[in-house]
Amino acid sequence: MVGETLRNLLMIAWLLPLVGFAVEIFGGFWGSRQSRAAAWIAVGCIATGFVCSFSALMIWGNANHWSVLHKADHGSSHESHDGHQGEKGHEEHAPAGHEAPAEKHGAVSSESQYKLTALAAEEAATAHAAGPTVYSGTLYYLARFGSLDLSLDYYIDSLTLVMFTMVTFIATCIHLFAMGYMSEELTEEYVDHHAHLSNGHHVHRPGRFYRFFAFLSLFCFSMLGLVLAGNIFQVFIFWELVGICSFLLIGFYTERKSASNAANKAFIMNRVGDFGFLIGLMVIWTFFGTFRFGETVNGKGEVVQAGLFQLLQRDDTGNVIRDAENGEVSVGAADAAMNPGNARKTIPYFLLVVAGLGVFAGCVGKSAQFPLQTWLPDAMEGPTPVSALVHSATMVAAGVYLVGRFYPMFVQEVLLTIAYVGCITLFMAATIAVVATDIKKVLAYSTISQLGYMMLGLGVFGWGAGLFHLVTHAFFKSLMFLCSGSVIYGCHHEQEMPKMGGLWRKMPITAFTMLVGVIAISGLAIPGLISLSSVFAFSGFFSKDAVVATSLAFVKSNPSHFLLFLMPLLTAGITAFYMFRLWFYTFAGKPRDMHVYDHCHESPLIMTAPLLVLSVLAAFCAVGGEQGPLFLLITGDQPAHVSHGVAAVAGASTLTLPGHDAVHAVHAEAGTYALIAAASGTLIAWLLYGTTMVNVAEMKRQLSGLHGFLVNKWHFDELYDVLFMKPAHIIGKFCTWIDRTIFDGIIHGSARVMIAVSKWDRLFDESVVDGFVNLLGSSTFAVGRSLRVVQTGRLRQYVMFIVVGVVALFAILFTTFPG
Amino acid sequence: MNPEFLLSAIIFVPTIGALLLALLFDSKNSEAMRLFAMATTLVTFGLTLMLWGDFQEGTSGIQFEVAKQWIPTWNVYYRLGVDGISLPLVLLTGLVSALAMGASWSITKHVKGYLVLFLMLESGMMGVFLSLDFFLFYVFWEVMLLPMYFLIGVWGGPRKEYAAIKFFLYTLAGSVLMLVAMLMFYFNAPEPGGRFNLIYLADAASKGGLLSPSLQITAFVMLFIGFAIKLPAFPVHTWLPDAHVEAPTPISMILAGVLLKMGGYGIIRIAFPLCPYGAQYWAWTMVAIGVISIIYGAFAALAQTDFKRLVAYSSVSHMGYVLLGLAVWKVNEANGQSIGMDYWQMGLNGAMFQMIAHGISSAGMFFMVGVIYDRVHHRDLNRFGGLMGKMPLYSGLSAGLFFAGLGLPGLCGFIGEVFVVLSTWNFSWVLAIVAASGVILTAGYILWAMQRVYLGAEYRGPHPEDLTPMNMRETSIAVTLLALAIVFGIFPAILFNIMEPSITSMSKAAESGYQQSAAQVTQLQAQR
Repeated sequence: MVGETLRNLLMIAWLLPLVGFAVEIFGGFWGSRQSRAAAWIAVGCIATGFVCSFSALMIWGNANHWSVLHKADHGSSHESHDGHQGEKGHEEHAPAGHEAPAEKHGAVSSESQYKLTALAAEEAATAHAAGPTVYSGTLYYLARFGSLDLSLDYYIDSLTLVMFTMVTFIATCIHLFAMGYMSEELTEEYVDHHAHLSNGHHVHRPGRFYRFFAFLSLFCFSMLGLVLAGNIFQVFIFWELVGICSFLLIGFYTERKSASNAANKAFIMNRVGDFGFLIGLMVIWTFFGTFRFGETVNGKGEVVQAGLFQLLQRDDTGNVIRDAENGEVSVGAADAAMNPGNARKTIPYFLLVVAGLGVFAGCVGKSAQFPLQTWLPDAMEGPTPVSALVHSATMVAAGVYLVGRFYPMFVQEVLLTIAYVGCITLFMAATIAVVATDIKKVLAYSTISQLGYMMLGLGVFGWGAGLFHLVTHAFFKSLMFLCSGSVIYGCHHEQEMPKMGGLWRKMPITAFTMLVGVIAISGLAIPGLISLSSVFAFSGFFSKDAVVATSLAFVKSNPSHFLLFLMPLLTAGITAFYMFRLWFYTFAGKPRDMHVYDHCHESPLIMTAPLLVLSVLAAFCAVGGEQGPLFLLITGDQPAHVSHGVAAVAGASTLTLPGHDAVHAVHAEAGTYALIAAASGTLIAWLLYGTTMVNVAEMKRQLSGLHGFLVNKWHFDELYDVLFMKPAHIIGKFCTWIDRTIFDGIIHGSARVMIAVSKWDRLFDESVVDGFVNLLGSSTFAVGRSLRVVQTGRLRQYVMFIVVGVVALFAILFTTFPG
Repeated sequence: MNPEFLLSAIIFVPTIGALLLALLFDSKNSEAMRLFAMATTLVTFGLTLMLWGDFQEGTSGIQFEVAKQWIPTWNVYYRLGVDGISLPLVLLTGLVSALAMGASWSITKHVKGYLVLFLMLESGMMGVFLSLDFFLFYVFWEVMLLPMYFLIGVWGGPRKEYAAIKFFLYTLAGSVLMLVAMLMFYFNAPEPGGRFNLIYLADAASKGGLLSPSLQITAFVMLFIGFAIKLPAFPVHTWLPDAHVEAPTPISMILAGVLLKMGGYGIIRIAFPLCPYGAQYWAWTMVAIGVISIIYGAFAALAQTDFKRLVAYSSVSHMGYVLLGLAVWKVNEANGQSIGMDYWQMGLNGAMFQMIAHGISSAGMFFMVGVIYDRVHHRDLNRFGGLMGKMPLYSGLSAGLFFAGLGLPGLCGFIGEVFVVLSTWNFSWVLAIVAASGVILTAGYILWAMQRVYLGAEYRGPHPEDLTPMNMRETSIAVTLLALAIVFGIFPAILFNIMEPSITSMSKAAESGYQQSAAQVTQLQAQR
């Protein structure tokens, strides 16, 4: 019952934007170019979606009596975590379960607060009686072949609901912001200053306001479909759809060559990742015979088939179960009758790794991880609201989301790869961000870097930490992108920071909200402000702290992978440095370009209001840290093996993955390190860019080699061009050449041979065959002709011939046969 | 209408239309003739829809079978029928013919002759998909060839004679091999009455009573070459780019939309059921050829500068998926049991779906190329650009159809491609990986082409003043194709429900035929 309600609510939230898209895309036909109607439709759809999602979250929570939040306060005693209880003293513990929802969504939650209070009263009674938290089912079937079937499903758990609420909320804010930002498109003749005709003039074209919102709506539909998906194949479907939406939005300014190049690059690099994804899908499909995450339920509500997460069972140490006979990994549910008809009994361990790496390859593409990171900075060619929504808060986080969603299927080797990929990415992107001067590019690299943190967190077995960072990052990064959009809008499409400076006087709201975002991402905190044991900090501190703490715990149990802790720690400092550099560069100091400064203005209310709302959330959404409501909600349905960690197995895996206890043991230590790193980064940024004490230009000159290397983005673009793009075109030309010369050559050659043969045939016919026939004919003719002389028609002559003939015959007769 | 009569009507309504057109119409009145031909194709399409209405979904056997003696001395019958394998293709033929006729308004030369040949072509195509007598099938196969030859050779582009003769000779070479195979079946059929009866022959083959295993291997190769040329598969594909480039737009639509499918249809209707042992023997080769076609076609498409040639090579690539899906039949040679039968069925279904999907998307792509060619009279990819600004509706619809070709989810191309690829790992992981890499190349050539044609600041070619918006006729053709691409992309079960039972029974029959023949082989080896 609850499941159906949730499904229906989320489906409304999911499908409304699609309806919106279908209407908006034809805005050029039904509306005028000056009309904002399309935007209001889009906002209406997504805002309704948010209401539905949030209601679904509430219904879900009430149905299980908020057992998830409850777990934080009281549940741990069931789990008998001694260390857990002890550690909690450090944290902001008391208000965790009860007040925080009110802070998060103030207006709506008074009811739930009542429910929660009621819950607290009867906690002992309900703690065990909490309802189910995961709802899954099938929407409709795409196809069935024997016992194989493919369908669109839904899978609703706490992560789904949090993601839905987060995505719809941020999307609503960004839609509103975009109404202001894109208002220049509300015209019959828009002049695009970045696109030039061959005669050097700017491109003049009709405004495309409605089209932008149509694409945004299509994106929201795709993104929500991805989150709602109940099987990995369905994820792939929406995965591609968000990819094409990203393509359309990056290339929104179709007249600009750079935009269409960036759009192509984004889609094709994503396809490279999807190639891996497809390999993962093939392995899963062949060995498990199903794509569903959860159990398949028939019409009567009975479980008829196990899903992927049930088929790959784990033992008490958290390791996958091996088959006793051949040492391969067992595939099968606890109840063998529930196995899909085509599931094999076992899967070789390396193929399980291949499947995991394959799916992760898709995530690498989508989340712009090393080595497929180069498309994301280019994607900034799209309008800034797109960068905020698609290329920072939601779509690029889909890779992280999928790693989290598919977590039960990942074995140690895959997780280690994820961790290292994340580690490389977060460091590399941060270094490039240090030298970038385009305000959006800095944010783009910081997005890549933060996504690296998320991947790292997931890779070192911090399931909650990685996803926690996903959600907090979505808030503060969308905020910062919108702020940069506000700056760009205010400065009339100037994006170069060296031409800015001192803008806080002109745009105070933007400057202030941006500062909130910068503090949040840098992970600054003030320890002991409220009480000695607590930390006052914005959201980024808590989530980054969680990631760093998990990696410290991981490194303590696997010392050889020490880089997995050192790099994020170092990068925490770099992050603070380049983010404050951005802020000082843009908003503080003296104006560097008076022309830009003079024409600059604060954005209208429709743009600043979303900034203010988002800044509140960026600051406070993670209140309570890992005992706070957000973290507890996200981790409500975490995979079963996460909390206890995974032990090393002799002969198989030498990795020990830390459980919650291990993480808690090092939490304070890691937090201290991270805070020190962030504070030093901030300090250096202030010294370099906030004051005039250091000559930055001189420093740049001194380090020109390094600077050039970083400005050229570690030369990945050039490398890929040489390694892949050029060879692909050469092979293409080569294939065409083969067709033209070899295959067609054979055809033409044989045609020539045929013609030669037939020519010879003709010659033979004409000279030999015809010659003989002609000879026969002509000789007969000649004989006839010569005989004509004797045909005179004179009777006496004929009688004479007869007589001569008869006499001759008799003469021959008598001479030949005498007697 | 009597369904048995319906089948004959579907085949011969276009012929009657052609006759009436030839006899009754004044050849100066082009508009009336076009409208009449359009009406004929629409009636035919309506009849195919009626056939769908009468068709019983969920059953595997032949429906509405008609059998009349035709040439008694040779046991040739006029035998028609439809099942889940042929019905979608019949529908596709009706649809694409009607749409291609709609696109034929751009033909102004010898309109009467064109329309008569066009309608005869449609009869031939319908006949191929509906006949169940091998001889009749062969007759229709050849009947369809001639109008096509003239349609390319008379109404084509600058190198039309070359393209037409190349098309004709390629196909004819295949037909000859098919003829030999046909005679092999004829003389090996256990009962003389069923010597050309495809259903009877298939039944005999599934019991192991048609050809000996070694003969099956030979017969299969001959059939396969004939059908692979039509498909077209690497390396016998080179007629296709030439034929497409030279053919007028509507004929390209027919060629890509319907004619190529006859290769796939022949394989699944004749080659597999009649020579199951041969099919299994050559499975790996076929899968490899399919994979090579996918990759090779995609690479070649990447290098083209002629818009139509690019789409033609994309057809080679996309039809590679058809061959791949058909052939992923894996058996355990030790005991003759199939390994992962459901995956093969998925491959077969995916291949059939891909045929329909490609019929829609490629017809759409060729049509879109034709629309722009009619305006500016060139197809050089490097001299387009900026069409999105000049013709937004055209560009939007084109983008949709090209995305369908790219295999974007929600559009028909995705289902066919991805189902085929997913079913491949069970057969061979190496080939599966190579096939999957096609997704990157496909995205590459389609997006790059779209960028050069639709995006950009301005149009860089000749006749910029002729870039007028699409008219109603053009718009409705494009909208129909895109709408179908979306419907089949979202609800593929519409087609799978029709196809799946027949395909399952075909694959089961092939499996048992293989096992019978494999048992014969083991017996022979034991005797030695």
